[in-house]
Amino acid sequence: MAITTLRRIFSGKTPVLLLLVLLLASLYLMSGATHNSALFSRLYSVLLGINALAIVLLVTLIGKHMYRLVRQYRQHVAGSRLTARLVIMFIVLAVTPVSVVYYFSLDFLQRGIDSWFDVRVEKALDDSLELSRTSLDVRMRELLRQTRQMTPELANTPDSMAALALNDIRTDSDATELTLFSANGRIIASSGTDTSSIVPARPDDATMLQLRQGSDYVGLDPIRDSGLHVRVAVRVPSPNPVGEARVLQALYPVTERMNTLANSVQAAYAQYKELAYLRKPLKYSFILTLSLVLLLSLLTAVWAAFFSARRLVAPITDLAEGTRAVAAGNYDKRLPLPGKDELGFLVRSFNEMTHKIALARDAAARSQEQAEAQHAYLEAVLVRLSSGVLTIDRDRVLHTSNRAADQILGVELGEFVGRSLDEVRSEHPHTRHFIDAITPHVSDGEQEWRDEIILFGAGGRQVLMCRGTRLPDVAGIRAGHVLVFDDITALIQAQRDAAWGEVARRLAHEIKNPLTPIQLSAERLRHKYLGKMNAKDADVLDRSTHTIVQQVEAMKEMVKAFSDYARMPQLDLEPIDLNAVINEVLDLYRGDRAVKYLVNLDAKMPRVEGDIGRLRQLLHNLIKNALEAMESRGDARLSVTTRCMEEASCRFVEIRVQDNGPGIPSEMLGQLFEPYVTTKPKGTGLGLAIVKKIVEEHGGLLWAENPNTGGALVVIRLPVLTSNSVDAEEDLTVALVNHKGNDDAAA
Amino acid sequence: MAFSTLASKNNNQQRTGSRRLTWLALLALCMLPLSPANALADAFRIDHAETTLESGVYHLNAEVSYRFSDDALEALRNGVPLTIQLDIQVFHHRWWWWDKDVASLVQRYQLQYHALTKRYIVRNLNSGGQHSYSTLGSALHALGDIEQLPILDKNLLAADTTYTVRARVHLDIESLPAPLRPLAYISSGWRLGSEWYTWPLQR
Repeated sequence: MAITTLRRIFSGKTPVLLLLVLLLASLYLMSGATHNSALFSRLYSVLLGINALAIVLLVTLIGKHMYRLVRQYRQHVAGSRLTARLVIMFIVLAVTPVSVVYYFSLDFLQRGIDSWFDVRVEKALDDSLELSRTSLDVRMRELLRQTRQMTPELANTPDSMAALALNDIRTDSDATELTLFSANGRIIASSGTDTSSIVPARPDDATMLQLRQGSDYVGLDPIRDSGLHVRVAVRVPSPNPVGEARVLQALYPVTERMNTLANSVQAAYAQYKELAYLRKPLKYSFILTLSLVLLLSLLTAVWAAFFSARRLVAPITDLAEGTRAVAAGNYDKRLPLPGKDELGFLVRSFNEMTHKIALARDAAARSQEQAEAQHAYLEAVLVRLSSGVLTIDRDRVLHTSNRAADQILGVELGEFVGRSLDEVRSEHPHTRHFIDAITPHVSDGEQEWRDEIILFGAGGRQVLMCRGTRLPDVAGIRAGHVLVFDDITALIQAQRDAAWGEVARRLAHEIKNPLTPIQLSAERLRHKYLGKMNAKDADVLDRSTHTIVQQVEAMKEMVKAFSDYARMPQLDLEPIDLNAVINEVLDLYRGDRAVKYLVNLDAKMPRVEGDIGRLRQLLHNLIKNALEAMESRGDARLSVTTRCMEEASCRFVEIRVQDNGPGIPSEMLGQLFEPYVTTKPKGTGLGLAIVKKIVEEHGGLLWAENPNTGGALVVIRLPVLTSNSVDAEEDLTVALVNHKGNDDAAA
Repeated sequence: MAFSTLASKNNNQQRTGSRRLTWLALLALCMLPLSPANALADAFRIDHAETTLESGVYHLNAEVSYRFSDDALEALRNGVPLTIQLDIQVFHHRWWWWDKDVASLVQRYQLQYHALTKRYIVRNLNSGGQHSYSTLGSALHALGDIEQLPILDKNLLAADTTYTVRARVHLDIESLPAPLRPLAYISSGWRLGSEWYTWPLQR
């Protein structure tokens, strides 16, 4: 947290400016300090330290930037090359003038400082110092002599009286202070004009030693606040002959004028001397200051070079990254605006461009979504259509199909999308007729066409009504066709059945009525005239009327059959054990030894719901038909098979009646169950039509085929009642048994 | 996840720690020449020091021998005043915490050559008093002879505590003329000073 705050503070523009201002201030102060002004003089070392620290800091910063730049350069980061070039350019631009200035400044500095010093000035100062000393020397010698003259007076004064004596002597002389010391330096007495200093200064050890060796001392002594003084120390013999010599120290002031002049000379000399001594250090320190200033400026310039190069390159890097992002498909990237200059304009244009691209992309995505929704909608409509729909292109490559098409053609067309119809044809041969029929229409490029196509599939003969329309060249389908087809087999069948029903009804109605009068009339003729005629005529009449009556009878039979077919009696439905019915019917035919019956009944047959009378008729018709077909054969064989089956979640019972007759002629296979379709020389041709009618009345299905083993096979499928579960069956059986029991009991 | 975060945090801390250490080291390096403790220990020496209690005030008596380097002597003869600083500290040693400073005293003396009179002036910068000496030797002797320097009032001390006094002298580089200072900081000829001289406060 604190680190990030610090980083934020130190990464802005403000600290940079602050640092620069501080550096300039410190540089200014340092340059002032070099001139030895008192305040700056005190700050000099601190400033030096601060500047050194600043240099270290800058070097670190620059090093960091440099390291980063080199790393980015090696990694080929966008903008690093331009940054490097700009930085190098800035550095060269900064270093060149600074180096020139530095070189000449150094030279100037050396010469400038050297020019301060002159041998003649130095000599003159030495001489003036010497002159001052000489002039003071005269005075000093005079004062020594004066002081020596005081000694005889003091020599005879005992220590106790010395103070008074000193006072007297001092008032008579120029001395400001007179002090009498014992040999070991103890003050015996003192007298001075200056009452503020209570303790007079004691001569130093060297002076005392000199005195002890027997020579007097005279010298100049700069005393604080009161200027130069001449200090004289002379020995004073002790009043006591055996006592040690005492020391008299006298301080004489130098005249005011002399003092001022001497001080001036001393000050000038000292300053010049110090300056001369400091010449080298001064040069060094100037050079140091100059170097620091230039180094700091240079480093700041280098740092600023990095800083400004980055600032300059930042929008370009942004642009490069933005372009990359756009290339990668990210159109939502917005670049920060660097300013109002040309780069800013460029960035703004870029932002606008990406914005527009993003809008266009969104619009495209929306329209694609709409198209997909529409496609899905169409797909849903297609799936729910009862008509089969196919789209194919000119090369008969399948593009679309729906579920109804799959069901009608009996092929999973989904697998063939994108493949040619020829592949469908070769993999599913039963579609051969369909594909062959549509091919000419498609290749002729007809705008619109209709065709009735007959298909022989697993489900038997199918009649398809197919309509084709040419499609405009869209969605990559060139000269495509959309085919819509319906399985109209059932429709045709129903129409045909209805037509036959109508015929039968009319026949029954129109023909049956005159038949009875015809028969009655013929019988009447016979009755009336048979006995009256001669034998020859009577024979003719007898045969003729007999034929009439017989034929009318046959006709009646036929009409009855027709009316049976046309009339649709109400079904009397009840649960039926089909096996029992089959056995019952077959028993009627077992008497005929010429035919061999093969009965194979499924023991687990569920009950079906049906009209037992109609079902008996159905079985009679089928068996009769088979027997008639096998009449000419010696080894006639009829097989009846039942079984319960389950197919496509639909439970049903199957009855297969197979003979070994000549089979069904292939041209009749389609219309076998229609009225008046027969191969037999006699018969109404209604037998199998009725069978079909009964099966359909029971909601069943039937077809005929010629199996490979020979003969003809009729397959009937009847649905098992959904409620007719095993349990219900058992209950029913029990109920039946009970009922039977009751009957027995009643009997 | 949690583990990795912790690890990276640790790593961060370590890094910040090491960075801080680097900065400290750098700072110390910069401060090194400023520290008087680094002074050339043999140049000045406190030969003897003691405290005496007189009328309720502790006084310091000490003898210091000065041996200036050639650089310093040359500067002195060229009129550059040399400032010598005497640091005196009275403290109470505590084993459980840092020592407690009771009193610290700084005495500054200036030694200067007076070209006109050819004498060496010793100035006490604290009191303002000055004396001149004809030879450097006697000037240094006078400088080194510290007598009855009052340092501490007895009332400031607790009765049942033992106190320690320590003292040292060194040349004050900061008082040199500015141009000399950078050189003085880096040259061993200018780093003159003594070790701490420590003794118990006599009660």
